Amino acid sequence: MPDIDTVNVLTVPGRYKEIRRICEFVADGAAQAGFDEDTIFHLELCCDEASTNIIEHAYGEEGIGTIIISYEKVDDAFRIVLQDNGQTFDPTTIPPPPALGSGNESPEELTSQLRIGGLGWHFIRNLMDEVSFTSDRQAGNRLVMVKRLAPKDVP
Amino acid sequence: MSVWHEKLPQTNAWLVGVNGRLDQSQIPDLEETLNKLLEDGQCHLLVDMTHTTYINSGGLRCLVSAWRRAKADNGSIVLCGLNTRLQEIFTMVGFDKVFTIFGDCAGAKATIRHEKKP
Repeated sequence: MPDIDTVNVLTVPGRYKEIRRICEFVADGAAQAGFDEDTIFHLELCCDEASTNIIEHAYGEEGIGTIIISYEKVDDAFRIVLQDNGQTFDPTTIPPPPALGSGNESPEELTSQLRIGGLGWHFIRNLMDEVSFTSDRQAGNRLVMVKRLAPKDVP
Repeated sequence: MSVWHEKLPQTNAWLVGVNGRLDQSQIPDLEETLNKLLEDGQCHLLVDMTHTTYINSGGLRCLVSAWRRAKADNGSIVLCGLNTRLQEIFTMVGFDKVFTIFGDCAGAKATIRHEKKP
């Protein structure tokens, strides 16, 4: 039998000031799940960036709709789901920022608009173990991010 | 949580500090502080992040935007006091190669005092 926790759910208005609540909500759950402080920091950052994307791209501005965030732990997987009813905006289609290649890139190349634009999603891609996005007219947009507990963290 | 600034004594540089989380709740304050200093011709800035506990992509964008403006005026933005989590974020996107970053703010101030005498 898999070890399944209750699904914890928080619904907040799609406003920037609410993102802190989302981060705290997920950080509490991640701490209970047994993640270390560095990983909790990463999870907060990913939820912050995903929520910002919802406000900026799915809703287009603040105060248009709600963000529903939930998490659950199934075995070693901590699964975070963000849902909204805005425009379909699939963040997984954002091209990755130009890669850091030789290590000899100039500061201008490193800070080009192209690189800066996709930083939030760059963090999500790099810090989460699995990311997927679905959208349908009734259920709205749904971003699923999974982080697995490292063996040393599994309670 | 707050954003503060003060003149760095014996230099033509300004010290800007961010206490707490550099997220959407503080980015507008930091942006306003940096823009005001740059508009006043103060383009040598040291950002003290000793008490900064968090940064997101918006915070990075804010610092990069100020870096561009300072550079255009032949100035500089130097960072100091980043904890290991913040350093990791800067490294992950290559910004450790954009900004001069001092681990120790006292060392950063001493270097600036030496280089930026009024």
